Amino acid sequence: MTSPVLAERRVERLEFDDLSGKWSATVSVSINADEPVFAGHYPDFPIFPGVCVLECVRRGAEVAAPADAGILRLAAVESTRFTSAVYPGDVLSIELQWAQRGLDWRCSARVGTDRGPAASVRLRYQPEEAS
Amino acid sequence: MSIETIAELDREEMRVLLAETVDADLTEVTDDADFVKTLAVDSLMALEVIVVLERRYGVKFSESEMRSVRTLRSAHELVSAKLRGRP
Amino acid sequence: MIGPASVRSMLPHRYPMLLVDRILEVGEPDFVRTVKAVTINEPWYSRLGPDASEADLAYPEFLLIESWTQTAGILAKQIARSAADGQIMLFGSMNDVEFHRPVFPGDLVEHHARLYRALNDTMIFEGTSRVGAEPVLTVGRMTMAFRPGELLSSARAGQSGSQ
Repeated sequence: MTSPVLAERRVERLEFDDLSGKWSATVSVSINADEPVFAGHYPDFPIFPGVCVLECVRRGAEVAAPADAGILRLAAVESTRFTSAVYPGDVLSIELQWAQRGLDWRCSARVGTDRGPAASVRLRYQPEEAS
Repeated sequence: MSIETIAELDREEMRVLLAETVDADLTEVTDDADFVKTLAVDSLMALEVIVVLERRYGVKFSESEMRSVRTLRSAHELVSAKLRGRP
Repeated sequence: MIGPASVRSMLPHRYPMLLVDRILEVGEPDFVRTVKAVTINEPWYSRLGPDASEADLAYPEFLLIESWTQTAGILAKQIARSAADGQIMLFGSMNDVEFHRPVFPGDLVEHHARLYRALNDTMIFEGTSRVGAEPVLTVGRMTMAFRPGELLSSARAGQSGSQ
């Protein structure tokens, strides 16, 4: 799949906790002024769109996807909240954790910049049906 | 809903629902913690609290009732009263 | 207030992030219907190599959400009217947003958004997006508010600001 965000993700930490059986990771993404979305969001007033923050979380989640989950398809944004705006030059720090819920998987993430929390997100993934 | 289920309108269940909605720890949502002052709920989140309660309990709040929901206790009292049919 | 010209007058977004092509209907008075044509000429696709598969051409899910959100934003603007002048539209939260099937270039997406509840300057919307008769997206609820632009500028200066 293609993406509206150019910035590369950097995996700072990737762990499997034997006790809880959960995968967790820290991923950082540097949002440079040359991201193409800034041209139109908004002209003369660049703000990194909330949906692009979600995109960074998705790409972070997918590098840290549970090894035993098979191929997963993004099924839903269960919830997301944006608490402060993200600007050119910000570095997103994404703390995320995967957990199984029934047949589905949930990835919960908290996103911050050096000014504090920026967003919280819960994504739900479904195993791709074998065909 | 029967009288018995109304009497049991579960305060702890509502606490969990509110904590999830405002993104707070369960222990922070005490009966009298003011959403705006203590739990840093802004006007966006305040309206979400209303809608979550309405959808969960199948009730509808008037504008003045919406403004009166400031704590778990007031939310619980208002929803209980509505379910008993005397707002 | 229908057609493509009114999209540009009601939303501050511009290329490449203006993701509504035409307003079909604003009325009822709390309902809006718009259309977004997905094309292979959008900039996101130019980054793909020559051997991109069909799956690679799926429209980014979060841009589909953005397109729906802009639709709700048009309705918010219509409801707030002059009260929103000079203010910035803030996207606060979303819940229960489900993707039903991928969207591809050539698809004509029709967005429906309805005002579910409003209090002061805050509004909650819900809705769906379809391609033909098929649902591609449902949005359980989305919270939005108009706030003075200074709030954002002060956050940018590194001061505290909730939004």
